Amino acid sequence: MKILLDRIRALIRRDAVLHDIDDELRSHMEMAADDNRETGMSDEDADRAARTSFGNLGSIKDRAYEVRGGGFMETLLQDLRYGIRLLLKHPGFTLVAVATLAIGIGANTAIFSIVNAVLLRPFPFPQPDQIVMVSEFAGGIVSYPNFADWKDDQNLFASTSAVRSNESFNFTGGGEPERLQGRLVSASFLSTLKVQPFPGRDLVADDDRPGAIPTVLLSHAFWNRRFNADPAIVGKPIMLNNQSYTVVGVLPRDFQFDLDADVTIPIGLSADRFKTRGGDPGVHVVARLLPNATEQQAQAALNVVYARLEHEYPSSNTGRRAYLTPMHEYFVGSARQPLLILLGSVGLVLLIACANVANLLLVRASTRKREISVRVALGASRWRIIRELLTGSLLLSLIGAALGVLLALWGTAFIGRQLPASIPRLAEANVDLRVLLFALGASVLTGLLFGLAPAIQASRLNLTDTLKGGNCGSAGRRQHLNRVLVVCEVALTMTLLVGAGLLIQSFLRVMQVDPGFRSENLLTMQVSVNNPDGNQVGLFFKQLQENIRRLPGVKSVALSNGLPLAGVNHPTYFIEGKPLPKNGAEPPAIRYTVSPGYFQTMGIELVKGRVFTDQDTPTTPAVAVIDEALAQRTFPNEDPIGKRLSQSRDFSSAYEIVGIVRHVEQDDFDQRAFRPPQFYFSFNQISPDQLPGSTRRINLLVRTDVEPTSLTAAVRAEIAGLNKDQAVFNVRTMDDIVSQSVAPRRFSMMLLTVFAVAALMLASIGLYGTMSYAVAQKTSEIGLRIALGAQSQNVLRMVIGEGMKLTLIGVLLGLTASFALTRTMKSLLFGVSTTDPLTFLGITLMLAAVALFACWIPARRATKVVPLVALRYE
Amino acid sequence: MTNPKADLLQGTLDMLILKALSLGPLHGYGIIQRIRRMSGEMMHVEQGALYPALYRIEQRKWVSSKWRHNETGRRAKFYTLTKTGEKQLTEEEASWDRLALVVTRMREAT
Repeated sequence: MKILLDRIRALIRRDAVLHDIDDELRSHMEMAADDNRETGMSDEDADRAARTSFGNLGSIKDRAYEVRGGGFMETLLQDLRYGIRLLLKHPGFTLVAVATLAIGIGANTAIFSIVNAVLLRPFPFPQPDQIVMVSEFAGGIVSYPNFADWKDDQNLFASTSAVRSNESFNFTGGGEPERLQGRLVSASFLSTLKVQPFPGRDLVADDDRPGAIPTVLLSHAFWNRRFNADPAIVGKPIMLNNQSYTVVGVLPRDFQFDLDADVTIPIGLSADRFKTRGGDPGVHVVARLLPNATEQQAQAALNVVYARLEHEYPSSNTGRRAYLTPMHEYFVGSARQPLLILLGSVGLVLLIACANVANLLLVRASTRKREISVRVALGASRWRIIRELLTGSLLLSLIGAALGVLLALWGTAFIGRQLPASIPRLAEANVDLRVLLFALGASVLTGLLFGLAPAIQASRLNLTDTLKGGNCGSAGRRQHLNRVLVVCEVALTMTLLVGAGLLIQSFLRVMQVDPGFRSENLLTMQVSVNNPDGNQVGLFFKQLQENIRRLPGVKSVALSNGLPLAGVNHPTYFIEGKPLPKNGAEPPAIRYTVSPGYFQTMGIELVKGRVFTDQDTPTTPAVAVIDEALAQRTFPNEDPIGKRLSQSRDFSSAYEIVGIVRHVEQDDFDQRAFRPPQFYFSFNQISPDQLPGSTRRINLLVRTDVEPTSLTAAVRAEIAGLNKDQAVFNVRTMDDIVSQSVAPRRFSMMLLTVFAVAALMLASIGLYGTMSYAVAQKTSEIGLRIALGAQSQNVLRMVIGEGMKLTLIGVLLGLTASFALTRTMKSLLFGVSTTDPLTFLGITLMLAAVALFACWIPARRATKVVPLVALRYE
Repeated sequence: MTNPKADLLQGTLDMLILKALSLGPLHGYGIIQRIRRMSGEMMHVEQGALYPALYRIEQRKWVSSKWRHNETGRRAKFYTLTKTGEKQLTEEEASWDRLALVVTRMREAT
């Protein structure tokens, strides 16, 4: 410890050390003078004698300092200075190496910053580990009455709250009307998360009941945007859906939970919407575990509660259970695997980059061979040489890392823009301390990785050989190391290419899936329904459709409560005359409520029977259209037409099936294992105020002859012409919706492809470098062969053969690794097996072709060797 | 006086310093005096050799140092043999004895 302190002191306070030495020598001199005086010298003589006995004081000081001050830090500085000078002396090498490392470390840092934000960083709530999500149905849905039965049970949770996101509200009164995203929550929502509103107060139990004075919490962003962050808004009313809500508080700026919401409103106000003990409409439930309770204990207690509910409500709760998922797992669990695969892949790229730089260093080391030999001969220790070379390597990797972090800053923003909503919490991705530490760690590790082998190699020089100037000796061993590195590069590249190839294949196949509808030339937008008078709403939409249909360029218009690719809502269906499914075992399905023109406008083909017409009215028998999936599932061997479908077990309201249409794909096209049955009701037979809450947004669909977005303004004008307070939102083309639904898949595919191409480039550069070096080393041999009559063909074959031998070994290793690793990608693939022979073969051929080219250039050069020059070369 | 220092191997100087300090803590000036006395005035170590050697063996933790006042009241840096230093001294003495024995035998053999 003392030595270390001494050395640090030597570095920081060089003067202090020199001073200490000075003092010591002075005291020495004075003692010598004292003794001289004792022998009877005069003061003056005594001093002079003492001084002369010392000889050259300055040189003694210097030598003493060299011992004391020349410690770790001093040497490090020396090595750094030397390293920098070397880098500057070989700008070409430096540029290539630094660029390679910057890309490698930068890409790793960017991906890690995303992994950090999505997977590692805890949610910004106190004790986030205690927060769990409860679900009864797929998709995390819980029936509200069931929840209400146990929400205050002190033995279950410390605190619970229902959450219903993705509600929408019309904000009017004061400026432009705006469609707001809202969430309905229990009064205990914020206290469950342990978050405090400011300014203002939290919701209280009295706000959260039917008939309470309506209250609302604002999001920080909305508060800023519409109220200029004025704290005086607290206590004032705002108009939502033509109803007055009193603002009680503002959520913290960094607050985030599930979907963003501008307004947060007590769910109790609309508790009458959630009367069913089924999943539609349902709520999400967030809960905080009791202090010191484990998830298992809470689950066990919840099982007891559900056993009781089953007993009390056998008709709805038979067989039903609720399950706990840690909040973090619930929100980001699905993103984990793709992200880890990306992180692993980008790590491989960095490894390849390391191998390349190591190769460069090896080649360069050969040019420094003589210099190092001389220093070893003069007594430099082997460790000293290794340390100096390693310092150089670390210097290189740190410069690379610094540039890499800059790249990552840009890359993180870029990736964030590429993938707006598909991965949760992505917006939070940034370069924070942990990311910086990661970059630093990565650079130190890479520096050691690519620096160690060349450094050890260099220090193991056979002195006499090198000094004599022979070109053999250690060159052989270095070549060997070179080759091992190239083989590794090829193997790693192979693995990456196979991974990327499989993803590209999957993507192409996904894009070839027939979605069941035609997305081109289709404009969609959402219009909200607020008017409590159903007849008026019906008239409004009727008029609106007629007006829009008259616009030039419009082929047809339709209304619908939902769109394809939006995923499963949870209505159940029952068929008259069929055995009723058990409670909790109802198949998830999708219900659309559509206008008669929907099938034509969306391009969904009729398979059998008829679709809705204008003759289906509230007074005629209620009719339904089902899709092929429902027909196949429920009527495998009979004709569904004429059968009756209902949403209630008692068939109190039943719909006659009049037609079968094509199945429409959902989610991102890949849920092939399960094709959710779909059924359609006619918009004309349901008054809009009977639509369940989440469907009070009506989608307006316009099929056009022209570029669909060119009609946006005209359609908006028609809407405003009928009702100027009508908010219009989510204006998108159906093509956009489709492309957004495959965005995550495209994203992983693109990134992995970029990584794989980068790897391929690095590996071919590595191969090229190694073969060039081999050719340079063998110039005399080749010259001799040519002089003895070898044809240029033979030379070509010799060099290329050697390069391809390395490639082949690499490819074989890579294939083995791919077989093992692609298994982890299974869930990311679609329509291809993890060992797709076509992909494996194609990638092998491509890699071989690139490798061949990389070897061909140095091979060509070898054939141009002039024998006389080559032989004189030695 | 002939200069035995010229041939003095580094390790030998280290051993002499350690030997001198084995009699008790001492400052640099004192070490030179003590070595001279102990060698029967045969050996004079110069300052220019002593201090680098002292600092080196201090870094190896064979000795530790502290500023103190000497008997005449001057401030001086006193060096003390450490446990490691004692062990080192024993080892070096043993190997020196072996070397001396070998050399003596060789000479007598002629």
